Amino acid sequence: MLVAHATWHGGALCLWAEHDGPRTGRGSVHPFATADFSGTSYAGLVRGAPRVVLDLILPSTADHPLPSAELGPEPFEGEPGLAVWRVPALVLDPFPAMTLLRSAEGQADVVPGTDLRYLALLAAEVADLVRRGRVLPALVREDGDPAARWRPVPDPARFRTLAAAMPPACRAVAPGRPASTVLREALDGLTDTTVRGSAPHPLLPERKGDVPDHIPLAERWFEALTGPDPSIRREPHDSAADLEAELDAWYRSALPATGPLRLTFRLTEPPPPAASVTAPVPPAGEAAVLGPQHGEPDDEPAWRVEFLLQGADDPSLLVPAADVWSGEALLEGAEEALLAGLGRALRVFPELSKALDGAAPSGLPLDTAGAFRFLRQAAPLLAAAGFGVFLPSWAGKAKLGLKLKAEEEEQDQDGAATSSGFGLTSLIDFRWELAVGEETIEEDELAELARLKTPLVRLRGQWVELDDEQLEAALTFLRHGRSGTMTAGQVVRAVIHAGEQSLPLVAVEAKGSLGDLLSGEADRRIRPMPTPAGIEATLRPYQERGLAWLAFMDGLGLGSLLADDMGLGKTLTLLAHLVQARPSDPAARRPTLVVVPMSLVGNWQREAARFAPKLSIHVHHGTRRHRQNELLRAATAADLVLTTYGTASRDAGELAQVPWARVVCDEAQALKNSSTRQAKAVRSIPAGSRIALTGTPVENHLTELWSLMEFANPGLLGPKKAFRERFAVPIEAEGDEQAALELKRATQPFILRRLKTDKSIITDLPEKQEMKEFCHLTVEQASLYQATVEDMLEQIAEADDKQRRGLVLATMAKLKQVCNHPAHFLKDGSRLPGRSGKLTRLEEICGEVMEAGEKILVFTQYAEFGSMLQPYLAARLDRPVLWLHGGTSKQHRDDLVQRFQEDAEPSVFLLSLKAAGTGLTLTAANHVVHVDRWWNPAVEDQATDRAFRIGQKKNVQVRKFICAGTLEEKVDEMIERKKSLADSIVGTGEEWLTDLSVAELRDVLRLSPEAVAG
Amino acid sequence: MAFFESAKPIRVDGGILARRRRGSIGEEWWSRRFIDLLEAFADTGRLQRGRAYARQGQVLRLDIRPYEVTAIVQGSRPEPYEVTLGLQAIDGWDAIEEELSRRAVFRARLLAGEMPREIEQVFDACGVALFPEHADDLALMCSCPDWGTPCKHAAAALYLLAEAFDDDPFLILAWNGRARDDLLTALRRRPLTPEPGEDEDDDPLTAEDFWTPPSGLAALRDRPPVPTTPPGLLLQLLDPPDIKIRRRQLADVLLPLYVALAADGPEESTE
Repeated sequence: MLVAHATWHGGALCLWAEHDGPRTGRGSVHPFATADFSGTSYAGLVRGAPRVVLDLILPSTADHPLPSAELGPEPFEGEPGLAVWRVPALVLDPFPAMTLLRSAEGQADVVPGTDLRYLALLAAEVADLVRRGRVLPALVREDGDPAARWRPVPDPARFRTLAAAMPPACRAVAPGRPASTVLREALDGLTDTTVRGSAPHPLLPERKGDVPDHIPLAERWFEALTGPDPSIRREPHDSAADLEAELDAWYRSALPATGPLRLTFRLTEPPPPAASVTAPVPPAGEAAVLGPQHGEPDDEPAWRVEFLLQGADDPSLLVPAADVWSGEALLEGAEEALLAGLGRALRVFPELSKALDGAAPSGLPLDTAGAFRFLRQAAPLLAAAGFGVFLPSWAGKAKLGLKLKAEEEEQDQDGAATSSGFGLTSLIDFRWELAVGEETIEEDELAELARLKTPLVRLRGQWVELDDEQLEAALTFLRHGRSGTMTAGQVVRAVIHAGEQSLPLVAVEAKGSLGDLLSGEADRRIRPMPTPAGIEATLRPYQERGLAWLAFMDGLGLGSLLADDMGLGKTLTLLAHLVQARPSDPAARRPTLVVVPMSLVGNWQREAARFAPKLSIHVHHGTRRHRQNELLRAATAADLVLTTYGTASRDAGELAQVPWARVVCDEAQALKNSSTRQAKAVRSIPAGSRIALTGTPVENHLTELWSLMEFANPGLLGPKKAFRERFAVPIEAEGDEQAALELKRATQPFILRRLKTDKSIITDLPEKQEMKEFCHLTVEQASLYQATVEDMLEQIAEADDKQRRGLVLATMAKLKQVCNHPAHFLKDGSRLPGRSGKLTRLEEICGEVMEAGEKILVFTQYAEFGSMLQPYLAARLDRPVLWLHGGTSKQHRDDLVQRFQEDAEPSVFLLSLKAAGTGLTLTAANHVVHVDRWWNPAVEDQATDRAFRIGQKKNVQVRKFICAGTLEEKVDEMIERKKSLADSIVGTGEEWLTDLSVAELRDVLRLSPEAVAG
Repeated sequence: MAFFESAKPIRVDGGILARRRRGSIGEEWWSRRFIDLLEAFADTGRLQRGRAYARQGQVLRLDIRPYEVTAIVQGSRPEPYEVTLGLQAIDGWDAIEEELSRRAVFRARLLAGEMPREIEQVFDACGVALFPEHADDLALMCSCPDWGTPCKHAAAALYLLAEAFDDDPFLILAWNGRARDDLLTALRRRPLTPEPGEDEDDDPLTAEDFWTPPSGLAALRDRPPVPTTPPGLLLQLLDPPDIKIRRRQLADVLLPLYVALAADGPEESTE
């Protein structure tokens, strides 16, 4: 395995890697570094790159450098130091560097280190800056010769953020380099190459006729700005100083002055015309366009752009310019900020000059057309130029658009359809109307608007933007047929695909079941379903509604996305659905396929057995799984077939032979990349209906949302490319609220997402939920476990009482370490990923918590395991992972706690049970994981209570990890069984185990066959 | 002496006429200040006659150059007099420019045709007088036989100079040695703000958290959405540099390149 690292040095990317092969080298030569990428997917990207040897400062023990988190953190005693190591590296010029950085993270066979991923992030940053034109040309000296180069113009705040977030590894070239220097050099180099990659060359037309003897320096410089060669052709008597100074000055003027005050513009609408607004609504049929246009020309509405100053650090500080001039605003530099800002704003908003005629400009009066121009043209430019812009709340929203009215047809013919028989084939009467918001606009109103020819009109007291294009589209629309009959399925599609840029769908009105569906509030409108018989639990009210919703969707033959927050019991809700949907006639039963990540197989098995004992479960997984006819037989005999994403993708063909009632994907974010083999495979399995379960906020990741919908309702959202263009790009890159609204309307029928924090729905969630997470062992863990147990049983036969005691305790500790991770048990600094079921599950849970923007406490009783987890999780999650253990100083401890409590960023706090079990208040967390067990509920509860304390405003979810089929599960069962005795037996920790007989021990420690999944 | 004082000047056509027919000359605070200072140290009688000269249009020409204003004034002799209004050369311009560039307001106001009041304090702080405050500060010369300071010809030129300041405050600075374009160029070439990040001290490298960033990379990935803007907005926002490529403004020649950069389209999200 290679872990690739990089830094930016000498105008180029320096790429090297750590390998996990045998260590070589002596003296100051790094023993496991390489610059040899042959045979990996990087080979093509680095072909021909020259090799150098770098002196890098790396964390080290006395005699060797410590491996990075990605390679596998090495346990060590004491504090590591820093030492200089000679490291072979490849030098990639900016152009190949950009190519490498843009694809470095997508490769399966080389793991990018955090330093490389940081530089890849800079490459994306640069691509964005270049596309947005945030670059300027410069004349620089390279080895004394003038050269033409492109420089980025980053936002200074962003630059500081990036510099502050640079992993120290990027600064490692001896004697250690400043982050801002590395950052600037990297941005400069990548920007220049990116511009050259996109810019046309040559930019100037070929000179016609005689080429003059002397070409001005500026022109030669300009020619070198595009194409591969930045060097400027020399001519005698060149003096580049003036050009250089002029360009430098230009560049500096592009960096916004970072004053404490920024100029802000606010568009205010004219006061409502007193008479017409209070006038009664005109009778139906009469033109209802009210507006100042009816008045005399001198009633031209008084729109106004006000000037204000806003605090850069405190946006709530807003001072009108009038106060600045009157001297009431006692702000230092206020006049200067105002004037300097207006001077700059003039460049994008020339109309402003009218306001600057006066001595104390405080605002610019505008007529309606001017207000419209401000809204459409000036406002976005001013915002992009860094000014504050406040627009009225209706701006960009209150648009003329389409409204779909749909009503189920009267069912009176042959009785085939009953009132409850609503389905996608039901016939629906529909009518298209023009509307603003929810309000329908009549034809004569539109005609009146068309006559007025103003782009901003007040329509029933509400201002509406109406440009020519829209008006045209609306008038065209009126000429077409607007009502008729279609099926409910067509209505659903129409809601998704109707409307266009000029005439978007702005409202949908429907009644009955169709209305329930389209509203996205079906769960609230339809009757909750009580806990079905056969479920060994009582559903909470919101779960009853979730169940009813699943049944409603299933009945329609529509796929659904159950996206409730983690911890709300999606598994239980789904099990209840399977139980209540199971026909009483065994002949009519068809199985449900549940696809889960491997780490969840054990958990599902146990939860199904516990909550829905009547469902027969078949696990299709592992090397001894059924194939072909056997699989078909086993699957059809079961109610629920559990499989993993990996297996499903390998066996898709065989699984497709089973007549599934439904296919369910748990942790369905696994499908987020729709083009992967497993996503395609899972989609290819035919089923009556499909359900996706996910706890991550789907609305944050639109391509992921598309993929989930493509699984649940294939084709419904249209092709991915069209979806990207219509929704993903406008919403994610441009923050288009209108597009976000349309997407919400299109997808809300299929998504049920309830938040823990929504107290109007989740009224009955306990403040503390405890869950057991059953994890599996990997094959490696199982064999280590087995060997340890056998070793002990061998020795125990010959041991005396005292030895026996020690042996049992030592074995317990070893087994728990094996359950944690083989590397924890072996203490060999070997790599971490993919070798432990618990670690996989921990990564998944932490990932979900980070995704939800929350914080988590992770307890372990082993400090050595914690110090392995910390760098590993930090690298995997790309989020801060704090680590508090017995060796943490009081001061550092307080700093960590304060940072965790106060930082807005989601983070993980890893704590050693002994060091942090008491005293701390960590209420910023609302998740707690106990990675390993102390088997002392009092100690665990005390630790849990770090989060669950006065001051906790959210519900706390506590997960205790248990490796299924191991001593962890057995001991847990014993504790549960003897709950009353628990305190007396268990209260003393693990001592009581030493009193068990050999037979009892054998039983407790024995590895059950189901422990291994894989 | 009486001979000269009583002589009537020869009336001329096409001279420069003072706009203010009555009262004091100087509408803006800066020209007012100039006149006030002048009137405080110069001979009042001669000034009054000079003002009358200015109103009659006796000044035929007024040329403002660094540290020296020259004027041609028609007096009572057929040959017009040549007047020179000289100032001490300032060797502290560097410090003044440095000070002016510190606050954008100076540039903003100067560009808007205004002389910021504080500018005088800036000069003061640098030990330089923006306006002549004593007779010694002005080196007045006239080809007339009057040895008084100022003579009425010089006075007429001074009043018209004040009026010229009203129209263009940059002329004050031009007289003080910096023409408008030179000054603005000099101000532009001085950095308004330090280069981003330049001033920040780096934490020394430590072994702890060496491989992980101080805060998570994930937070960096969420770039806030940016509204779409026309390509080359940056070119439009900035003072164009004084660079021409084949007789066209640099910014104009560059625009197609920015259009091409924008057309490369948003990055496909990496999946």
